[in-house]
Amino acid sequence: MLSRIAWRLFKHELSRGDLWVIAFAMLLTVFSVVTLSGITQSVRDALLQRSSQLSAADLVVRSSTTPELSWFELAKKYDVATSHIQSFNTMVYHGDAMQLTSIKAVDQRYPLRGSLVLISGQNQFHQVLPGQVFVDQQLLQRLQIGVGDEIEIGMFKAKVTGLIDQEPDAPLNLFGGNPRLLMSLADVSTTQVIQPGSQVSYRALFAGETASIATLSEQLVPLLPKNSRIQQLDRQTTLGATLDRAERFILLAGLLGIILSCCAAAVAAKRYSERQRQSIAILKAIGLTQTQSRRLYFSHLFFIVVSSASVGMIFGQLAIAGSGALMSQLLSDYQPKMSWLPFQLGGLTALLCAALFAARPIWVMAQTPALDVLRQGAKSIAFDWPHLLLSALAVFCLMWFFSNDARLSAILFGACLVAALVIFGLAVLVLRVSKPLGVGQTGSFVLALASIRRRIWPNAFQLVTFTLAIFLSLLLFFLRTELVSQWQQQLPSTAPNIFLVNINAADKPQLKAFFAEHQLQTGPFYPMVAGRVTAVNDDLLVEPDENNQGSPPADGRREGFGRELNLTWTQQLPPGNEIIEGQWFSDTPQAEVSVESRQAERLGLVIGDKLSLQIGGFGKVATVTSIRKVDWNSLQPNFFLILSADLMVDIPATEMTAIRIPPEQSALLNDFARSWPTITQISVQQIIKQVQDVIAQVSLALSFILGLIVAAAILVLVAQIQSTVDERQRELALLRTLGAKTRFLRLSVLYELAMLGAIAGLLASLLAEGVLAMIQQQLSGTAFQLHPEFWLLGPVIGAVCVTLVGSLLLGKVMVPTPAQVIRQALAEQ
Amino acid sequence: MQQPQFNVNNLGKDVQTHDGRLHILTDISMRINAGETVAVVGESGSGKSTLLGLLAGLDVPSQGEVWFEQQPFSKLTDDERAAIRASKTGFVFQSFLLLQALTALENIMLPAELAGIKDARKRALNLLEQVGLLHRAEFFPGQLSGGEQQRVAIARAFITMPKVLFADEPSANLDAATGKKIEDLLFELNAQHGTTLILVTHSPVLAARCQRQIQLAAGKIVGDSAC
Repeated sequence: MLSRIAWRLFKHELSRGDLWVIAFAMLLTVFSVVTLSGITQSVRDALLQRSSQLSAADLVVRSSTTPELSWFELAKKYDVATSHIQSFNTMVYHGDAMQLTSIKAVDQRYPLRGSLVLISGQNQFHQVLPGQVFVDQQLLQRLQIGVGDEIEIGMFKAKVTGLIDQEPDAPLNLFGGNPRLLMSLADVSTTQVIQPGSQVSYRALFAGETASIATLSEQLVPLLPKNSRIQQLDRQTTLGATLDRAERFILLAGLLGIILSCCAAAVAAKRYSERQRQSIAILKAIGLTQTQSRRLYFSHLFFIVVSSASVGMIFGQLAIAGSGALMSQLLSDYQPKMSWLPFQLGGLTALLCAALFAARPIWVMAQTPALDVLRQGAKSIAFDWPHLLLSALAVFCLMWFFSNDARLSAILFGACLVAALVIFGLAVLVLRVSKPLGVGQTGSFVLALASIRRRIWPNAFQLVTFTLAIFLSLLLFFLRTELVSQWQQQLPSTAPNIFLVNINAADKPQLKAFFAEHQLQTGPFYPMVAGRVTAVNDDLLVEPDENNQGSPPADGRREGFGRELNLTWTQQLPPGNEIIEGQWFSDTPQAEVSVESRQAERLGLVIGDKLSLQIGGFGKVATVTSIRKVDWNSLQPNFFLILSADLMVDIPATEMTAIRIPPEQSALLNDFARSWPTITQISVQQIIKQVQDVIAQVSLALSFILGLIVAAAILVLVAQIQSTVDERQRELALLRTLGAKTRFLRLSVLYELAMLGAIAGLLASLLAEGVLAMIQQQLSGTAFQLHPEFWLLGPVIGAVCVTLVGSLLLGKVMVPTPAQVIRQALAEQ
Repeated sequence: MQQPQFNVNNLGKDVQTHDGRLHILTDISMRINAGETVAVVGESGSGKSTLLGLLAGLDVPSQGEVWFEQQPFSKLTDDERAAIRASKTGFVFQSFLLLQALTALENIMLPAELAGIKDARKRALNLLEQVGLLHRAEFFPGQLSGGEQQRVAIARAFITMPKVLFADEPSANLDAATGKKIEDLLFELNAQHGTTLILVTHSPVLAARCQRQIQLAAGKIVGDSAC
């Protein structure tokens, strides 16, 4: 019976608006959460899939001893595929020629992810069988051999069976490194080159379902000996870290929209509760218990939340599918994955918002005493502090839930609180000083002013929400435009996509002519040589422990780079580099070095420190005279150490540069390779494409968030204006009874709405200007710059939006008919 | 000897105001038997509606006790009192107090549905016919005149066949002719159902139609007489 009554009341309430605001707010919330988390997850999936392909596996355990059988048994338990790799360096012989080569011995299951592609032949080989040997171009050149020639690796003799084109987990040795050879693990023992004490590294590869890999990874950790570690795939790249930050920004910006729509839900729930008080009193008088009244009205909220959350999830799934399709176009090898996580997040958020924002007014409403049926006049609910506190708690929980960072949440929450208080204070101030505006004016404008001042506290509260709504829209609009253009500037269409290494000085004139002939854009040429830093101020550096990364040596000594660095020397500070400490080289430098800031910090270097360098058999000492901040995202050649030219006069070196070859001219690369076979080409096209894909997705997500915030802002306007409908109706009915004309009433309402909107827009501009100044200062370090467009846009947008939404909602109320006036009078009794 | 339906002993009701404690009702004692028609009369502010609220179990007294059919209201919880109201009482209010969200028929059915009565619709249609509004069954309160709304309210009050009917100024919001018709309808249905009627009114004419009048002044009974 109760459910039937609840349904009847629900049907009627749907036509009155408040429940729709709650429904739209919930729909918007769930849609946003599902879509945003879905899109960010699909970007992450794409990156992970790419990472896996570049590592030949989903999970890699590196070790200096043979992988233990127990790891593979554990993997079998979780239905995870496994493979095993041994890597070592040894001499490879062909007749009298010999070459130190990096050998990778693999089993037949290698690679578990990605493909091993050979040049000689159409096939993409997925296996290295016993007796087969695949080599890279470099080894062929060094040994002067071709495919089919016999080579010797220790005691193992084999014919070269293929030339490697793509090796999924090949190290990205931009500037050199040993030639590479791939052989079967089964043939390693035949070589007899691995003896006790030999330097061999081992890798155990695993691939399977994401959940199985996660479980396996967790269970492997306690099993691993000290000399073994899990190689992180998704966080190891700069792109991964950038994506992390972008994801957090997207979720937090989206969260502000969600909070805004939840505020609308809270306002609508309060109005809905106030309107239901008399009904509750009547129902209680005729026998409804308090428990039943709670069940009755919570069933309305439940129905609204469940139905709008379901619709939000369906829309969200459609948006995710759209994003997946777009991603598949951008990344040919991307396979969209279905995940329940966005839906779980959406459901949880809806539950949290409904419970903390909207449930309290309904709970309080159910306490309306039955005795109210005998009391005269409408009684509004007193300001409900617990509702405010619960809403604040909800905001904080959402922030924490989305950022997973208590400190960041506390800062953001504090900033929002301060902003709300400042706006509230400013709103009260502006409303109070608006009195002189009415002087000398007559008619509806004065009535509008009087109306604004009479409801100064509710209006101030309304202004806070209007202001926040307009402010967030302005801020997001600006940030989206600014961020996207900054990213696009970082990766212009002219960004270099090929690095050329190992250029002899003698080849430079012909090279330049080739570039000019084909109108190719080139960067500067940098001399380059490999060198090692051995000591700082006579303190010898220790080699970093590969298996104990991130922890400093126990004896407190400085840890070095652990490898040879590519060193350059130049008189000009390269583009994308900024001196943050010390001075760039003078015209007559004296054995100086400029150090990249993060490396300077890691090695504990300060200006004046002396670095001992070992460069091609020469010992050099250079004084640190500057520390540079380097833009690593620029995809330009960058160096940890730049030496002054005077140090390098007697050292032979090759040069490098970066060029851009448009995709339609890619055939030029073959001509280039034929003309200059000793110059190594390294393509960064894939990296650029990956970054551009991420930018495209993030831009899409930002546009979505902007749309979300605008929709939430409109919802707030609707909820706030709706909350004043009853009061306005009473006032206007009274004025109409006293003889006020239609035009007079209509104008007074429109003036009032326009003034509130303009004030909110002005305050929003002020706030947006302040926040942008902070962002510019903090993020880009640029000087404070006024945005005059805000000062015009804010008030105009505010006045237009509030007036438009208001006149749509208050259309009938603005001009009460005589019948409404009489009914109003009756209701007042 | 027949037990009274209402037994009111030393009833008092105070409220806290900014100016201190205000005594609305003081030392009210009386008995009302089943089937009696009682008018509670008095000036505005004399405590008539407060007394009605206490007798109906809508409120609890500050002092004393209201016994209804041998049950002390103040010892019962809100929900227990609501259950008694659902099954044994009906209400007619000055401003009708119909649920705007429901049609005339649905408003009438409401108490019966809350009391779990199965043939609520049939009963409601019968009552609508009795109050002459069958043709307006699907109208919402906003589409009905004041008199029609009060007739719906009376039909609603009788649908559970209550033992007691409480009426708070039932004709005060209506013109004299409509008011008279409403009063006639109320007394006619009351007679048909044999319900106890407790009526709060300013109108001496309406009060005179009751068997008994209780006169209140400044929160105290100053007269209790049979008509």
